[in-house]
Amino acid sequence: MKYMDLALRFVGTSLLWFSFGFVGLIISVLVFPLLYLFVRGPGARQIAARKIIAWGFGAFMWSGCRMGVFTVRVTGMEHRNPEGGQLILANHPTLIDVVLLLSILPQVDCVIKEAVIRNPFMRASVTTANYVSNREPEDLLSSGVERLETGASLLLFPEGTRTARGQPPQFKLGAAEVALRARAQILPVVIDCTPQFLAKGDPWYSIPPSRPHFAVKVLPAVAVEQLVPGGLDERHSRYELNAALQSLFESELS
Amino acid sequence: MYSRIKDILVGQFEVDESAVSLDANLYDELQIDSIDAVDLLVQLKEITGKKIPPEVFKEVRTIRDVLSALTNL
Repeated sequence: MKYMDLALRFVGTSLLWFSFGFVGLIISVLVFPLLYLFVRGPGARQIAARKIIAWGFGAFMWSGCRMGVFTVRVTGMEHRNPEGGQLILANHPTLIDVVLLLSILPQVDCVIKEAVIRNPFMRASVTTANYVSNREPEDLLSSGVERLETGASLLLFPEGTRTARGQPPQFKLGAAEVALRARAQILPVVIDCTPQFLAKGDPWYSIPPSRPHFAVKVLPAVAVEQLVPGGLDERHSRYELNAALQSLFESELS
Repeated sequence: MYSRIKDILVGQFEVDESAVSLDANLYDELQIDSIDAVDLLVQLKEITGKKIPPEVFKEVRTIRDVLSALTNL
């Protein structure tokens, strides 16, 4: 029975990754050229591209659940401001966190790796969607702030990469710095995936002993001022904010 | 150039002047953080008009490294 379950989840996982690539390819070669033909103007194209991405990621998550590869439960979505202007901060336990989050938070800005922009299958969609590139650290900070100031919501993973195995998340200072510069409201999103699945160093085909469950908890939004005392200099403010955020996530995850 | 960098470190990042040397480790000894480092990178670009690529700057540990990165451009 146990082997049957593992085998089924292996088949499901393989099918899921195959369709991820296949649908991604179809979207790149078929859907995006049509979008360029029929949708005019970069603003409208950005909205359309993000709708397509959210739809595709939603289909991925739905199929994963239907095939029994994983289960997902999202709580606290009422804390999110659909109008935007929130800095959404999430921990990063698995490879598919961004897939999960963009499927439930369409139209948010996010940061993507330079490697993704250069990937021929993904370039069209991510550039049309006008996401922020991580190539230049200085631009990353300033564009993040700029997006928030123009009223968009921005999704960041403060760890900058997936969580190290068996460790609590280690946040880098960049996200705290963006929050401080933009004075943006922070929406913490805690992702807990048990058992560990698609973690840093895991190959896509490694199947956990039981079906992984994603518990996604959107916490109430907090203002920067609630987390750092006033009157600190810039450097101490970002340390304090970073430490406060990290302990918030640690206590939620323990 | 060395003194310009030293001025930025001492003036803006509150680094102790006596601790600054060509081979002091910016992060461990002078305790500037990653955000300060990015800030320094931006200011160096404004001063010299040359831009150290991020992948090179990542490897920089000392002021000597900064200077050699600048001359290698």
